[in-house]
Amino acid sequence: MIETAIYVLFAIYGLSGVLYFIRLIKGPTIVDSILAADCVSLDVALIALLLSIYYKNSFLAVGALFLVLWAFILDVFAAKYLTRGEVGT
Amino acid sequence: MILTVIGLILLAIGAVCDLLGAIGIHRFNTFYLRLHAATVGTVGGKFYPLLGVAFIAAEQGLWPVVGISVLAALLVLVTTPVGSHALAYAASKARIVEMELDEFRGEEDV
Repeated sequence: MIETAIYVLFAIYGLSGVLYFIRLIKGPTIVDSILAADCVSLDVALIALLLSIYYKNSFLAVGALFLVLWAFILDVFAAKYLTRGEVGT
Repeated sequence: MILTVIGLILLAIGAVCDLLGAIGIHRFNTFYLRLHAATVGTVGGKFYPLLGVAFIAAEQGLWPVVGISVLAALLVLVTTPVGSHALAYAASKARIVEMELDEFRGEEDV
């Protein structure tokens, strides 16, 4: 049961990731691309966790935490750079 | 068995929310509307599926996956409003995207 459900969920989340990636490529401004990159990285983290419960392997789940943290750091540092013109201080 | 069913229900809710957020971020025509769609797709479409993954992994006995999933879900719930607010503030402050009806800037700037 659970393998079939995970196949369908892979299809839906993959389609969502493709739509986010189209916006990342053709975003009119830089903030659209940053927003789409945020969504794509969270989507990839969720797909990695689904792969780890599909293969019943715990080591595949380690990268998901870093992807979630990286999305937040990308948002905050890009906003700081666009507002002040520098990162730091 | 009951934990797997709860996890699959949460994953289905998250798949619908994520697909709606992706369609919204692809079809809307202003940055602020796209930000709304992306926040709906992130909080509804990533927080609930991560909890669902935690339930399914608890049924299978994969306890490291449970810990990472719950931690990632709480991080998504905390950091998504902060990040989207920072992006909206930067887009408005650096005048990358102009607001249609800016109530904070007064009449002289119109």
